[in-house]
Amino acid sequence: MTTANPAEAQSAAVRGRARRQREEELLVWPDLVFIEFISAVVFTILLVGLSVTVDAILLDRANPAVTPNPSKAPWYFLNLQEMLLHMHPALAGVIVPTVALIALGAIPYWDTDNDGQGEWLSGPRHWLNVYVGAAVGSLGTLLLIFFDNGTHANLWQAATGTKFPVSWLVNMREFQKNFPLWQDGAPLAFLKDIQLGGLLRADLLGGPKIDFALNIPAVLVEQIIPVMAMVGLPILLSAVAHKRGIAQTKRDHMILQFSGFIAVYVTLTVVGTYFRGQGLALGPYTIFAHH
Amino acid sequence: MAATERPTRRSMGDRLYDAIFSNRVWRSIFRSGYPNTPRNQMLAVATNVFLHLHPTRIHRTHVKITHTFCLGGLSFFLFLGLTISGVLLMFYYVPSVERAYEDILRLDTDVRFGQLMRNMHRWMAHGMVLTVLMHMMRVFYTGAYKPPREFNWVIGVVLLVLTLLLSFTGYLLPWDQLALWAITVGTNMVGSAPLLGEPNRFVLVGGFQVGQNALIRFYTLHVIGLPLMAAVFMTVHFWRIRRDGGLAKPL
Ligand code: HEM
Repeated sequence: MTTANPAEAQSAAVRGRARRQREEELLVWPDLVFIEFISAVVFTILLVGLSVTVDAILLDRANPAVTPNPSKAPWYFLNLQEMLLHMHPALAGVIVPTVALIALGAIPYWDTDNDGQGEWLSGPRHWLNVYVGAAVGSLGTLLLIFFDNGTHANLWQAATGTKFPVSWLVNMREFQKNFPLWQDGAPLAFLKDIQLGGLLRADLLGGPKIDFALNIPAVLVEQIIPVMAMVGLPILLSAVAHKRGIAQTKRDHMILQFSGFIAVYVTLTVVGTYFRGQGLALGPYTIFAHH
Repeated sequence: MAATERPTRRSMGDRLYDAIFSNRVWRSIFRSGYPNTPRNQMLAVATNVFLHLHPTRIHRTHVKITHTFCLGGLSFFLFLGLTISGVLLMFYYVPSVERAYEDILRLDTDVRFGQLMRNMHRWMAHGMVLTVLMHMMRVFYTGAYKPPREFNWVIGVVLLVLTLLLSFTGYLLPWDQLALWAITVGTNMVGSAPLLGEPNRFVLVGGFQVGQNALIRFYTLHVIGLPLMAAVFMTVHFWRIRRDGGLAKPL
């Protein structure tokens, strides 16, 4: 046969591809089943070893009348408890985790191009984005925590022996209280206590009378600034990384943001677990030292 | 040894082999001979309901430990171990404010291997939170969430939430100071949500503070509600891995 039948040539190509795929494959028994078996054995031994040597903790009987200091949630929620110290409880305890989970679930609907799947960080800038995201996420979180803790003001005092010169920049509480525009006696001081009870006349509709006071600096410090930081800083990071050529493709940006998120999550968890002591003040802490 | 290459003279070993793997009892249970030929190896996987979670063949790179670090499998392994040790703990534990703490104490002091069981359950629970989180990172960094696996990633996020809830509900059961106050702090966070927060907290705790109602609710969720949901979602998760053509591989 001199003239190749195109249909036949094509099916030969398909067969060739199928054969090559077969050659890339292994049988699940024994290759995978044995690995699974061995790791099950190894981890059973490790877990028994751990359980024989380290006992699970058990404190005194539960007593609603005695609040331990500090009281902490389980470790995997201490990231949220740490955020609670810096923003409105609804934001830290519910809204941020909900939005974070939805964003996590939405990742594949965002990054839909299936290039580079099935391989560990195969792109040229992928690892770079892991490092940048992790570094910015962890250091940024630490800096924000230190700032809100007034660590810079304490260091200043220790170094110079004088009080930090800008009182409203000591931490966010001070900013809320003493920012020149609305500190006591300033013309805008009324912003801290705006009575809205008279506006919402729910009593006219047969509802309960609502006494509602609005504290604008508090809203700013507990809600608006944290939201701006949590939304704005990641956007800023991506923008800078884009400008610098660090993150160019969508997947680059995904890796940058995901690594940043994981770093923030880990940093908050570690600080909440090991560096929040009595009264949740910043300082080394371990539950085992107290019991 | 391939099936077609039977030596002409059967050795002792061969006869023993046939006695064990070719008799009616073995065949009635396993349907195929000992998996020492490719055909029997594939049959072993395809005809066994548990092994059938796997395909019969997989891509070469997927058995490399460094591809998955076994993290999804380990999460599942820990889930099974938690179920077994959890059932054993249930023999000794009564979810009542009067008894719970004493039951745990007795488990640690009077019950043979009781402390070991409790320790295993506790460390596996912590371990599972870690392995699930790391599994999620592995899936992300290998780009395995990309089409057609988008929805399995979403199922995964649900499994992550269920894992955290399983751990959280279990945290209350020892009824010690750690348990009571951790759950108080945690449920107060729920209560801070706008509008629906306080009603939700009330339903979860069964009252204004963590007491008997909260204990029985957390217990029921912990030993039956959440494990069932997790089992259902895991079933879907594993089914989808097969349907989506096994683990993600380079195009
Ligand atoms: C209880 C929790 C979970 C269990 C028991 C579980 C189990 C597994 C197992 C056994 C695999 C096979 C490959 C491997 O071991 O890596 C797998 C793959 C996968 N898992 Fe999970 N998983 C869980 C949670 C999650 C989470 C939290 C996510 C993501 C948010 C996720 C997303 C995926 C995806 C997309 C695959 C396919 C990976 C690929 O194609 O390479 N899973 N899971």
